Amino acid sequence: MSSNPSHSNSSRFEGCTLTGALAVTTQIQDAISIIHGPAGCAHHNFSLLHATLLGSDAAEIPHLLSTHLTENDIIFGGEEALEQTLAGVLEMRPIPASVFVISTCIVDTIGDDVGAVCAREWGVPLAAVPTSGFLGGVFENGVVNALIAAGSLADPPSGDCGGVNLIGEKNLEFDVEENYAEVRRLLSLLGLPVNLRFVRGIRTADLRRVGGGAVNVLREPSLRPVGEDFRRRFGTPWIDSFPVGLAGTLRFLKDAAALCGVESEAAVQAEAAHQEEMLSRFADLAGTAVRFDRLHPLLREDATAARVIEEITEALDLRITEAGTWLPAPYPAPVGTAGIRRMLYRWRKAIRTGR
Amino acid sequence: MPLTQGSDPGRYGCTNPLWPCSMTGAVACLAGLEGVAVIVHGSSGCYFYPATLINAPILGTFLIESDIIFGAEERLREVIGGISDADRIAVVNTCVPAVMGEDIRSMIEEYDVLLIDSPGFLGDFEAGYRTAIRGIAPAIDPDAPGVNIDGISLADPFYRGSLMEGRRLLIGAGAGVAATFCADRYAALNRAGGLTVGVNPDLASGIGEWCGSLLGLDGVRAAFERLEAACGEVDAEPVYRECARAEKQIAKACDKYLRRFDPPRAAVFSGFSYAVHAAETLERYLDADIVAVASRSTVQPSRYRAEQVTDLSRVREVLREHAPDLIIGSSYEQTLAPDAAFVGLTPPLRGRILLHAHPLAGIEGTLYLMEEVLNACMDRERSCR
Repeated sequence: MSSNPSHSNSSRFEGCTLTGALAVTTQIQDAISIIHGPAGCAHHNFSLLHATLLGSDAAEIPHLLSTHLTENDIIFGGEEALEQTLAGVLEMRPIPASVFVISTCIVDTIGDDVGAVCAREWGVPLAAVPTSGFLGGVFENGVVNALIAAGSLADPPSGDCGGVNLIGEKNLEFDVEENYAEVRRLLSLLGLPVNLRFVRGIRTADLRRVGGGAVNVLREPSLRPVGEDFRRRFGTPWIDSFPVGLAGTLRFLKDAAALCGVESEAAVQAEAAHQEEMLSRFADLAGTAVRFDRLHPLLREDATAARVIEEITEALDLRITEAGTWLPAPYPAPVGTAGIRRMLYRWRKAIRTGR
Repeated sequence: MPLTQGSDPGRYGCTNPLWPCSMTGAVACLAGLEGVAVIVHGSSGCYFYPATLINAPILGTFLIESDIIFGAEERLREVIGGISDADRIAVVNTCVPAVMGEDIRSMIEEYDVLLIDSPGFLGDFEAGYRTAIRGIAPAIDPDAPGVNIDGISLADPFYRGSLMEGRRLLIGAGAGVAATFCADRYAALNRAGGLTVGVNPDLASGIGEWCGSLLGLDGVRAAFERLEAACGEVDAEPVYRECARAEKQIAKACDKYLRRFDPPRAAVFSGFSYAVHAAETLERYLDADIVAVASRSTVQPSRYRAEQVTDLSRVREVLREHAPDLIIGSSYEQTLAPDAAFVGLTPPLRGRILLHAHPLAGIEGTLYLMEEVLNACMDRERSCR
């Protein structure tokens, strides 16, 4: 069947704030995330998070709690359900180290005052994440708001520890650990350690360390509101993206070094040589005719990925033609030199197999 | 860290809900019908879950805030108007539009649209599936040849295998297949037969005279006896002979297993009918000790003290209480008890590739279940040495 999905407003297709927020809060291992809404909303996200964790070989169960609203609650209001669920959390043993309350579209529609319920003293660190399902924006907004909410549980800075914070890693992406390894490798060329992965695989007590980083490296530019919020609160400067592209990776080294007050020249030279060596492994692709496939018609064009394609096709002397072999456009853009290398292996496989 | 250990989070709290909502059930039912364009009338979040679960093309209105403020009519009409080649359009309503107070039916009355009001807060997967079946309202044609198969859901990892097995058995008995609920051409549902067998009674359609479930060898025999009694053209002798052969095969394999190992202590987590089927089969052929029957769906009377369990903290408690050495369930249970032998029966079955059409119903379904159980138990026994 065919239909017109109407691209007039791409935010229609960009997922639920709930999923974005949970992708962050469920990575705080001793916290619990309360989803205020029907059980189905919690199940959908539990299923997705479970699949993602297994996909990255992590046999973990995210800690979700649904207020389990039913038809009666929708008619008469769900605040009591939230209060009772929060009271129930305090009876858990051990008591969760922190609680994140995430609201769904239906509780926003019926007018539950989630903020007022959460503002009471509950005897446990608690943050309400502004979400409201799709009524609060899209997936990306959920991520941003959850990172800021998690940051609200952090202490004031007690001095610069000299390390780098990674802010907002894409916890649902398949190669999240490989991307982390690449950023850590690049930082190590500058002699800089990672202070905190904010938020991935950490505990509530670790949140406090976010104010102690020398620089915050955001996963992607859409997290600028988080970078700005943390700069205002902790005084930490930020870089708006993980390294992307050949030149972008070298620029990342220079930017991180400048913000941390260290020398970058030797690291940049070493990485440029590493990139040359990496590209030489794919010299056999020179002159190949290719064209690029979008990942999904509902996804926005990624301008950064488009720049990477341009850069790499030029570096390897590929020809983009309408009769060329279809290659998958990267989505999101590959991280660092290692991300480009893995992308090129996939491209070469596609060229060899004619797809 | 088992956060819910030894605690009850209250009347409202439900830790990690394990079962999909009624909207998903309705979509899983309708999306099995060829020629039906299924539109999830809601946000992208509501669309993406069923779209990934059932792995079939569905559409959405992908509502955003302005649609809620100014009304969703224009958006719904835009999506319906863009559909060009469907026999029928079905709109499945979700939570927010369901409480907005818009009269969706009158909005789209110029289109021949099937509206299924099944927002997630109204119930579970099975409730939504049944709402969709009632909405489709299949019609029995007294002259239609063959027997209906029901209980098919695209969310069931065994649906393709069970459907193929059901068809094979009916054709083998000379009965033929009438309509399939719900994996058929839409038009075929208006020519349903007068007799029905099912591959999952939890999703029984209520259409036609129920002749029984095809779960388990006894179930297969009983269903075909009823079919023979109801329809003179059915000759079930080949089915009975195959049942007898399969029973011998299973008995031999289980006897061989029991010469070396003790029977497993098994806990079963699934929809009610699948759970009872697995428990009965294990008990009968392997003398398994069934320590728990935990049903995701509503519990019906049975010989087991089954309990409805839709909350992960309760699953954890059941596993801790009984310490089974064999778990039949989903990857949730597998993750919680990685040392037990595991057989996947219940969605989600994550972390593994499923390409082949495995049956659960019919003769091949029982053989498959026992094969999986014996192999899983033997692998565990070997790994414990």
